[in-house]
Amino acid sequence: MEEVNKNSGQTLGIAALITAIITFVIAVIPCIGLVAIIPGIIAIVLASVGLSQANRADSPRGVAIAGLVIAIVASIMSLSQYMVIGKFADKFPDQIEQIVRDVQRNVVDEIENASVSIKVENGDEVVEINVDQNRNDKVKTLEELEEGLIEPDDTLNAD
Amino acid sequence: MQTSCPAVRFRFSLKDDPYLLGNLVFASVILMILLYSLVFSPDRNDYPVVCIHEKITGMPCPSCGLSHSLSLILRGRIDEAYTWNENGMKVFIFFVSQFLLRIFFSRYYLNYPDFRKQLIITDISGSSLLFFIAFMPFIIHICKWL
Repeated sequence: MEEVNKNSGQTLGIAALITAIITFVIAVIPCIGLVAIIPGIIAIVLASVGLSQANRADSPRGVAIAGLVIAIVASIMSLSQYMVIGKFADKFPDQIEQIVRDVQRNVVDEIENASVSIKVENGDEVVEINVDQNRNDKVKTLEELEEGLIEPDDTLNAD
Repeated sequence: MQTSCPAVRFRFSLKDDPYLLGNLVFASVILMILLYSLVFSPDRNDYPVVCIHEKITGMPCPSCGLSHSLSLILRGRIDEAYTWNENGMKVFIFFVSQFLLRIFFSRYYLNYPDFRKQLIITDISGSSLLFFIAFMPFIIHICKWL
């Protein structure tokens, strides 16, 4: 029974150490450092439980302590990146608003220049409507018409 | 009972020894990072990990392009690697050197039990120094904004 207790404390310590090292490697990279907080917390919990079990079973605690220390350092590094993001938002609110506006404008442009195709089938009859928004081309044509560069075309094409 | 078989001694030590276990885990993590860089191609640009920092702030961080850079270094395209991320080579050297050091230190640790304390102190000091040199731009980036 005592052997089982020893093993369970050790197993949790090993799991904590593995998670903590992976967390540390993730935490030091700014691109993905934010997500390291999740495995960091898991590693701290595993190490704490492993350490308490090892204390009770009087088994070696080195692995759990190593896991706990690395997990705490990695979590602090990950948390500091949350603070960096927060500072960014405070420092550059105009830039962030500009980014949001740019994204909105891109979406509107894409919708305005979108091509829509509707196909209705009723037995043998097939009706297909193709609408090419292409707003930019239309604006260009209108400007050319106004300047008299091209002749108006009144013909109606039915394909 | 002391055994003369290194394999048996290694297995026994690994179970109870945080140093050897840490070395094994760290070496495995480095191998996975190198495998990730090998499997995903910079030409196909099929990397599953995106920069969360850039997604949130709209601005690139010092580690943007690091996956591309590591992949290109592993494929021998060093010049291109520098254009993707100028810190890529330092990070690559850190990971490769750490992988080799894990093997070397583990062997030394098993073969010379009398010098284990000195070895661990040397390892922690040396690896910390290497880490700070390789990851300094990332650390400066974090410190600058704190």
